[in-house]
Amino acid sequence: MSVVRERRGDHNQGKAGHMIRKKALVAGVSAATLALTLAACGGGDDDKGGKGGFEETTQSAGKNPDAQGPAPDPAGFKTGGEVTVLAPDPDDGPTSLDPAGLWSVTDNAIAQDLLFRSLTTWQQNPETGEYTLVPDLATDLGTPNDDFTEWTFTLKDGIKWENGEPVTAEEVKFGMERSFDADTFATGPGAAYSKPYFEGGDKYDGPYAKGAKDFPAISVDGNKLTLKMSTPFSEMDYYGIFPAMGPVPLDAPAADYGLKPLSTGPYKIEKYVPNQELILVPNDQWDPSTDPARHQYVDKYTFEFGGDNAVADKTALSDAGATTISTAMLSNDYTKAIQDGQDDQVLVGPQPCTSFVMPNYDKVKELEVRQALAFAYPYEDVWSAAGYLPGVTRANGVTDPDLGFGLLPPGMAGRKAWNPEIDGETIQYDPEHAKELLAKAGYKPGEYEVSFVYDATSQEGKDSAKQRELGYEKSGFKVKAYPYTAGSLYDVWTDPDNALYKKINLLGTAWCQDWPSPATFVPPILETGQPYNTGNFSEKSVDDEMDRIRTLPVDEQADAWGELENKVMTDYMPVINAGFYQGTFAFGSSIGGFNNDTTVGGAPDYRTIFVK
Amino acid sequence: MTLPAADFAVQGESSAPPVEAARRSIAGRSPTRIAFDRLRRDPIAVICFLVVVLFACIAVFAPWIKDMFGVSTDTVLASTRIDLATGLPKIGPPDHGFTMDHPFGVAPRSGTDNLAVWIEGCQTSLYLATVATVLSTIIGVTLGLVAGFVGGVVDAIISFFIDLFLSFPFLLGALAVAPIISERYGTDLEKLRTVSFYSLVGILVVFGWMGVARLVRGEVLSLREREFIKAARVIGVPTGRILIREVLPNLMAPIVVSISLSLPAFVAAEAGLSYLGIGVFGRESWGQTINGATNFWEIYPLFLLEPVLGIAILVVALNLLGDAIRDAFDPKTRR
Repeated sequence: MSVVRERRGDHNQGKAGHMIRKKALVAGVSAATLALTLAACGGGDDDKGGKGGFEETTQSAGKNPDAQGPAPDPAGFKTGGEVTVLAPDPDDGPTSLDPAGLWSVTDNAIAQDLLFRSLTTWQQNPETGEYTLVPDLATDLGTPNDDFTEWTFTLKDGIKWENGEPVTAEEVKFGMERSFDADTFATGPGAAYSKPYFEGGDKYDGPYAKGAKDFPAISVDGNKLTLKMSTPFSEMDYYGIFPAMGPVPLDAPAADYGLKPLSTGPYKIEKYVPNQELILVPNDQWDPSTDPARHQYVDKYTFEFGGDNAVADKTALSDAGATTISTAMLSNDYTKAIQDGQDDQVLVGPQPCTSFVMPNYDKVKELEVRQALAFAYPYEDVWSAAGYLPGVTRANGVTDPDLGFGLLPPGMAGRKAWNPEIDGETIQYDPEHAKELLAKAGYKPGEYEVSFVYDATSQEGKDSAKQRELGYEKSGFKVKAYPYTAGSLYDVWTDPDNALYKKINLLGTAWCQDWPSPATFVPPILETGQPYNTGNFSEKSVDDEMDRIRTLPVDEQADAWGELENKVMTDYMPVINAGFYQGTFAFGSSIGGFNNDTTVGGAPDYRTIFVK
Repeated sequence: MTLPAADFAVQGESSAPPVEAARRSIAGRSPTRIAFDRLRRDPIAVICFLVVVLFACIAVFAPWIKDMFGVSTDTVLASTRIDLATGLPKIGPPDHGFTMDHPFGVAPRSGTDNLAVWIEGCQTSLYLATVATVLSTIIGVTLGLVAGFVGGVVDAIISFFIDLFLSFPFLLGALAVAPIISERYGTDLEKLRTVSFYSLVGILVVFGWMGVARLVRGEVLSLREREFIKAARVIGVPTGRILIREVLPNLMAPIVVSISLSLPAFVAAEAGLSYLGIGVFGRESWGQTINGATNFWEIYPLFLLEPVLGIAILVVALNLLGDAIRDAFDPKTRR
């Protein structure tokens, strides 16, 4: 889904695209669940990820179309109390809370967990921490036809807006139609999922467009919504988790609705200052018996965006911040918290994201050279200099061979860790092996020039670029590293007209899933012409295989994607895995039920938080 | 009425008849000479001067000093010096004892030697401040002289530009120029290194000459009505010659003072701009180090203290020296 924005340093400093737009990387994202690796932190503490060590997330527990409200309560929960959430710089929070425009980790966590109900949602199992896809506004997870070109959802009765009015199927249709307006809601997921999949979606620009007519692909019959697809869309039930797939009042304006949207979830907005502050209070019209996922434990949520990182960390770890959460810990504050024995107030949570170095496929033509690049990248040294903790906030096969060096982050369906021997050795930083591979491609040391661009606005960015440069040089490459200070590195990587783009042959991307399906991961990185396939990898056979997988039966697709990923990595090595992500959170001593919501990409799971 | 004992010492000449040799030497002293004698007797001035000389030596002999300590700013693989689990150094402070291999310790996360970075930062600071001071003084003095002496329309125009530049926000200008430079020269690394340095000098100069110009103009306005200038005009000395031979020597005191006070201002400005990420590229700088070190205050305070103390000591020394020079040149002060 989305490109990830990194707080600092690293070769992949970027702006973001979508769901992970802001801060995403900083805190974590992840797909499925933490359950598996809880062993690492000592048992019993089910809602903690534990410190240290990268956690292999388990597969999501799948789907449960029969889930009913109310949601299962976590052990020891209490009601009452007020919680403050500090989402520090560069996370400036939601610019608008319009359901159609929400596609970033921080914003979606708040919106999906507390404010807006949609067709489907994720339910956390308080025992295991696993997430299950469950119906939300709909009575089940939708009924597709045989080839997934038509989906039918039936809405529950008794769902109300915060003002007491009932939510109608017409309003859900209207909300979904708005997602087709890719101009007004440019930050939303509509352009990626609504427009390409829905019948006539490519020509429909939403209900606000000039001369907009009824959109026949979404039809309403009483409580029933029927969605017609132009392309088979087997994952419509997953797409239903987005607030964009939920209701919006029929008289909502296009522009300013996001400033004061009506809530359907357990909380409603008391005060909202875009990019600064959001205060939520309980919504008395929300009926827990209709909601299998959310709770209403806390009396008040205060979100503050864009503050100082160090202040946020210190507040959450001090007595004054007993009910405060910091969503993006600095690594040095993390180190200090561990030193001070505050392990139980720190959570390391996986993000379903991967950072890539992408050699330009047209310029770096030899497979051996791309393989040599994988052995020339001093993984742990680069991470350390960039401010990450190797094995904790960044990891791959170097820190744990089981993680491998593939595309798909841990926890994704169909994932098979890819960590083969290349020319007799598994991937690690090994300059000598890189030289051998270069020699095999016919290059003597110092002959092959690689060039990349790095973020020169921070010390971490400069330091990590130096480490990378050193690694390449020791491995027999000639290196040119270009500093970039004018903005996000994606400005360079995604713009072939950029002067620096023409100079460099190593690009990059950091990508996160939208839901735990490789279909939201493999094509954006490997398909010809995808905007974030910055290395321009293009092989007809791979494109054809992707088209074939899309037509496979649903239960075979995940494995097929996983196999394709392994095959492409072995045969072409189009990208070099520069690490999977984990985020770090700090939370006050009175916060209970704290969990990393991997489904949204790595944010606190506000559904289960309570004040002890 | 009795004088305080201290005043006897100062006014020693009157307490006993001076010997003939001493009287002659006093008789022949120029104002500058008097000022230097005063400075020499001022312990603060002497100490500050030595400190400044020390820093200047560090800057000038940086390569040799680095060799002497066996340190360099070359990149090393972070893992050779850094404990990857914490990001803190495996050698030296904060968790391990002092080591002669890295007298100032190594930077967390990246493992670069702090002393080498510190020395190069000192070099950058002083070099940049010196170049900027010299250039801004030359521009300021020239324009001030011309404006004050010629007067009329020329004075009005120059004064207008002085006011214009004074009113333009310095920081905004610097923030606007930096990305333009890196965009323009971003694809040529060697050029970028030079250009970013001189563009920073340029920014400092463009926003730093007005003070001197105003000062000089004011002084010239009063000087040009004095008899010796009028006399020179009457006997037909060309204007340029009057400016250089008659006016300029009388301005030495304010110019020296302004130089000694603008040096520390430029050192601080460079650090401030580097801290904001718009400083020099491709060179070490104290401001950049501070920028990267602020987050480590709690777990590795030395890392932040080194550049902070470097700047603090240098700037304080330069400022006190400047104050002492001003006092020494001012006939109205008695200390």
